[in-house]
Amino acid sequence: MKSIVTLAAATLVSGAVLAHDMVPGEPQKQPILIKDATVHTITQGVLSDTDLVFTDGRITAIGTDLTTPDNARVIDATGKHVYPGLVALDTTLGLVEIGAVRASDDQEEVGAIHPEVSGHIAYNPDSEVTPTIRFNGITHAQIVPQGDLIMGQSSLLQTDGWTWEDAQEKLNVGVHVNWPRASVIDTWWERRSPAEQRKANAEALKLLERAITDAKAYYDGKQAGTLRGKDIRWEAMTGLFDGSKKLFVHADDKRQMEQALELRREYGFDMVLVGARDSWRMADKLAAEGVPVVFGAPYGLPARNDEAYDQAFTTPATLAAAGVEFAIAYPGFWDIRNLAFAAGNAVAYGLDKDQALAAITYNAAKILGVEESIGSLEVGKKASLIISEGDVMDHLGQDIVHMFIDGSEVDLNNRHRQLYNKYQQKPE
Amino acid sequence: MNRSNHLTGVSLAVLAALGLAQTAMADQTTTVQGIHDKTPSLVAFQNATIVLEPGKQLTNATLVIENGKVRALNRNNEAPAGARLVDASGHTIYPGFIDAYASYGVPAPEERSSGGFRSSPPIYSNEREGGNAGNAAIHSERDWIDSFKPDASAAKDFISHGFTAVQTARLDGIFQGQAATVSLADKLPNDVVYNPKARHFGSFDKGSSQQQYPSSLMGSIALVRQTLADANWYEEAYGKQAVTGPVEYNAALAELTDIENTGMVFAIDDELSLLRANEVLSDFSVPRVFIGSGFEYARLDAVKNTGSKLILPLDFPAAPEVGSVDGHLDVQLSNLRHWERAPGNAAALASAGVDFAFTLAQLEKKEDFWPNLRKAVAHGLDKDKALAALTTVPAQISGVDNKAGRLAQGYMADFVIANGDLFNDGEIVSVWLQGEEVELQPMHPADFAGSYSLNVANQDVELELKPGKNLQGTLSVADAESKLHHASHNEDTVEFVVDATIADLAGSWRMKLRQVSEDSLSGMAVAPDGRELMITATRTEAVTAESKEPARADSYISKLTYPNVAYGRTELPARQNVHIKNATVWTADEEGTLENADILIRNGEFVEVGSGLSTPSGYTVIDAEGKHVTPGIIDEHSHIAISQGVNEGSEAIVAEVHIGDVVNPDDIHIYRSLAGGTTMAQLLHGSANPAGGKGQVIKLRWGADADLMKFDAAPATIKFALGENVKQSNWGSDYVVRYPQSRLGVETILRDGFQAALEYGRQLDDYNDLSRSERQRTAAPRPDYRLESMLEILRSERFVHAHSYVQSEILMLLKLAEEFDFTLTTFTHILEGYKVATEMAKHGAGASTFADWWGFKFEVYDAIPYNACLMAKKGVLTSINSDSNDLQRRLNTEAAKSVRYCGMSEEEAIKMITLNPAKQLKVDQYVGSIKPGKQADFVIWNDHPLSAYARAEQTWINARKYFDREEDLAMRAALDTEKQALIQKVLNAGESARDGATNGYKQQQPTWHCEDQHDVWLDQFTAHTHGGQH
Repeated sequence: MKSIVTLAAATLVSGAVLAHDMVPGEPQKQPILIKDATVHTITQGVLSDTDLVFTDGRITAIGTDLTTPDNARVIDATGKHVYPGLVALDTTLGLVEIGAVRASDDQEEVGAIHPEVSGHIAYNPDSEVTPTIRFNGITHAQIVPQGDLIMGQSSLLQTDGWTWEDAQEKLNVGVHVNWPRASVIDTWWERRSPAEQRKANAEALKLLERAITDAKAYYDGKQAGTLRGKDIRWEAMTGLFDGSKKLFVHADDKRQMEQALELRREYGFDMVLVGARDSWRMADKLAAEGVPVVFGAPYGLPARNDEAYDQAFTTPATLAAAGVEFAIAYPGFWDIRNLAFAAGNAVAYGLDKDQALAAITYNAAKILGVEESIGSLEVGKKASLIISEGDVMDHLGQDIVHMFIDGSEVDLNNRHRQLYNKYQQKPE
Repeated sequence: MNRSNHLTGVSLAVLAALGLAQTAMADQTTTVQGIHDKTPSLVAFQNATIVLEPGKQLTNATLVIENGKVRALNRNNEAPAGARLVDASGHTIYPGFIDAYASYGVPAPEERSSGGFRSSPPIYSNEREGGNAGNAAIHSERDWIDSFKPDASAAKDFISHGFTAVQTARLDGIFQGQAATVSLADKLPNDVVYNPKARHFGSFDKGSSQQQYPSSLMGSIALVRQTLADANWYEEAYGKQAVTGPVEYNAALAELTDIENTGMVFAIDDELSLLRANEVLSDFSVPRVFIGSGFEYARLDAVKNTGSKLILPLDFPAAPEVGSVDGHLDVQLSNLRHWERAPGNAAALASAGVDFAFTLAQLEKKEDFWPNLRKAVAHGLDKDKALAALTTVPAQISGVDNKAGRLAQGYMADFVIANGDLFNDGEIVSVWLQGEEVELQPMHPADFAGSYSLNVANQDVELELKPGKNLQGTLSVADAESKLHHASHNEDTVEFVVDATIADLAGSWRMKLRQVSEDSLSGMAVAPDGRELMITATRTEAVTAESKEPARADSYISKLTYPNVAYGRTELPARQNVHIKNATVWTADEEGTLENADILIRNGEFVEVGSGLSTPSGYTVIDAEGKHVTPGIIDEHSHIAISQGVNEGSEAIVAEVHIGDVVNPDDIHIYRSLAGGTTMAQLLHGSANPAGGKGQVIKLRWGADADLMKFDAAPATIKFALGENVKQSNWGSDYVVRYPQSRLGVETILRDGFQAALEYGRQLDDYNDLSRSERQRTAAPRPDYRLESMLEILRSERFVHAHSYVQSEILMLLKLAEEFDFTLTTFTHILEGYKVATEMAKHGAGASTFADWWGFKFEVYDAIPYNACLMAKKGVLTSINSDSNDLQRRLNTEAAKSVRYCGMSEEEAIKMITLNPAKQLKVDQYVGSIKPGKQADFVIWNDHPLSAYARAEQTWINARKYFDREEDLAMRAALDTEKQALIQKVLNAGESARDGATNGYKQQQPTWHCEDQHDVWLDQFTAHTHGGQH
């Protein structure tokens, strides 16, 4: 446990600073050896008392008592934990600075169908929010445009960089669909009768199906060379049909997810279910069909009044037991810093710690198709990792002391620490 | 055939149209045009079963009426000389039914303008005319008799179900005006008035009013309270001098000065609001009758304890749709339960001894009235109670029990003639209003059913006519049987076509037969070749339809729990004496944290904390080895368990409204929060106004009613709010007229409010100092609940919890409080508290903050997760609050964030959600730590309570176990079984499950946040987005 005093001392270094002086990390200049740590490799188990070396942004060795490379910087991590950097899926980081200030909000385009927009385009690398979420171990975030139906394309960005270009890990990973409602509700803001709701639901679904039919016709026309011009909406979706892009379906209700699976069977999409509150109701089916899930409600209230109080908390454990490939997300922007704690909460309700960690690192990377580069600690992979004083998923342990992205050390300072530091200096 | 000698419905209608039927009664003050009507009105109904009143009937007796009244009831079945005789044999005569809650013959309210929320500028005042009230939802000056006009077409709906009189008013607004009780007869209004000044009608719904206030249920309740207090004041004050001049004329208040005699018929949405209305009306000794919601059975004892009569609509819900494979996903157990039990509501009330009347009001399809009433009987409602609900009870409620609701000499000749027991399958044949008949069907219709020998062209063939309303039958010639088609009948004639071979002529025969005596018919047939033949038929065997008692339906699959939703309880948990052993005990007090410790709990309190304690006899032992025990978590800032609006967001100062008036004990979030270890919460008003409503501290006693949840020992509190919400920063461009629109004005409106409160207090004191003679000239200050609340703050009898974010406004309120000489108790949210922590500590203000929220609006841009640490370090009493039904389930890890971010000690962190909020609520002598003498509110955790891996396993309040994870796991299985069984019952009910109201269930309440600005009465609301606004 640290004290206020030690932290104050640490921040004194950057004392009396103005906001916004967190300089993106320099490219790695010298090898770095992390010594005597507990290394959570994710793919190779938890290795205690282990050393890890990375050079030129890549992990070059993991083992015990490794020789210190020439010119290496050595970090004594005795008693500390090394993890892959955390990957936050389904966020709007950098697209919005202040929720209620419209001018600072670039999350959503007009209209129901805008697959052509890409999340990284409006990403603000100087957002004051980003350094605060790095502080909690997040090295990568998936930036997802919002919307009513076909929302746009997401990109995976590093949380440190001069521009989105500099920060890119993978652009335009896939197309996101906000699946039309399939349920009938009786909350008091819903003034339509069940029949009217069902009709509206069916119409919205038709609209989506029509868009996909049109996109497929465009794709087929493109293959056949019969297009009369470029339609940037359908152009953005061609990757869905040749398998180069994923279809992220944001759906919570069982019926929505079943409709989406139908669509997948029809078109053979590489599909990911996002949100997926009801995934526990169909875990075996999801495992059998091999459809991955980004579970988006780790702290969720029960979706229905009759559901158990801990339904959302236990869903990751249910998915794990059924063999579903899943990640845990905590959608939002400023609040995604709670991602690791949310995974910890799934542990409180039955998930193995290793699986919980994988759900915010390796599995998340895999779902975005970047597991060869990040998400686990293996020789040859990018050195995107964090060092924590204790268990990163527990409030009592998490204390990130170092973060590296591609071997560059990331400044963990942020607006919050600056204000903290400033006001500690206010005279009594 | 035995024809009755009555006027037919058609001839009556013709007479009415000519104005002739009216003249007999209409010559008192109205001049007669043309010939004076002297038609005799003496009628005797003989051989009848006469129901005089519930439980009293005469058989084979005669009812004599004359001049619109009952002249005699003759047990000897004798009729006076000269009377027109009506043979009522086989018939039952009931007193005419009375609907005590109707809107009949009065003008309809103006349509409220539609349009989205905040789509037009707000209206803060009422158009003034004729001494009306300052609020557009108050119409108490309206006497509905003054604009009452009989309406024959509207009357038909009532009369066809047997009603002869109604208590009527326009059903619009909060005080709706005084009803009149009138006959439904189609006469001059002067002749149909039974009680020109019946009850006042009311509701909590502001109806067509476009005025902003009130926008919430608690606002409506406050308005009712203030208005009734005003009426009491006005009664004394009118004609005297007030401080500002003579007391105004106020017609709305003048009309209410006699309300404690007149009483009110009050409409509510559900059984919880029934109890709320009862409380406010009984405070002012207003006699009250409530319109039932159909949910009374769910809080039967509490409803009974109001001692009030009810008026019940008979609108039962259609079954939830569970037919599709995933249909159950949208269906709540509570709705399935209600579908099963709603028809039994009346029976449950009757057996509890609650008097009630039935009303046609609110029934989606009026023709469901009798089928539903019979359904209520099938569900166990006693028939006499059912009849009382149509006659004596509504007569009493409508103030006409001296002339209607019974059949007795001198009572109005208002009655219903039925061809059997109406509560089984009898049908109404005619309804008599003031001695005049409205015929619904023939009293003695020809009954054609039976087997006949039919003679056609000297050939005998066999004719079968089946019982029933639509003529059906067969004709058999030798072995060939043909169905009749094109068949019809009227009172004495049948007509049909049959394809048959008779007398060697094959083809379609057309036949018509008229009844000539009981068992013989004669008429004509047209043969296929066009010849006309005389035919006769003789009945060889009669068939009568069987009358049967409806099947009993009063056994239920569903459980009845409190509240009657999934996870409700059948009873409150018992208080236990407990010995907890070997736990890690976080006392949150001087004892600190004890390893391997024991706790003894007796009579609801902690009595000893130590190690190796021996178990007194009769104690429940809990072996808590490896587990942790903390005090129950206390949330300074919660919006769960609130009905119909968290904000009275209309006016800038609404200190009179009270969350305590709208506590919703049915909210499932109570249970969910218990499952996260929370035992106490302060339910706060939202943040839409500088001085918001009064708060309510509750213990999360899931299963109890609202009153039992309230923690009465907590001193009174009130919500203040500063900043963006109160200056309406994010309310759209129309909302720019209310003062204040800037932080500058927030200070001044509060200053003005306090100043007004001080002067109000002075006026009260001055008045009390007056001599008796001076008081005769001087009006007492009008009791002003708004200023009274503000005054209580200044007198340190009510404590402020101020929603605040930025340092300037925090400092402002500190200075203002100091200027008015009171201590600001707690700043809530207070995200920039770290910037002025020293100033806060110096003042003595506490802080209740979010652990790490920021970024959702401009005023929280400087919020930091180190806030709690910095404030605590500077000596501010600091707690962590939820303001969220999600966070309220996991305040333990919210507190842990101060350990994570800034190294707060674990014990301090625990105190931030236990002892510190207890101090902020000024209840720390009762709760907040594990200390002998304090109430045994505690949580047993499976792990370190600040760890992400911790799970609450048991949550206890006053030594009663309100949550147990093991029990919860078992309950889930039982709930699922019950739900499946109810789904089976719906499916087995087939088509009949679709019968009933489509809107028969409670709407789910939204998740309330500080900022939610629903105008619950105008159906307007803000959409809520992810991430929240607070």
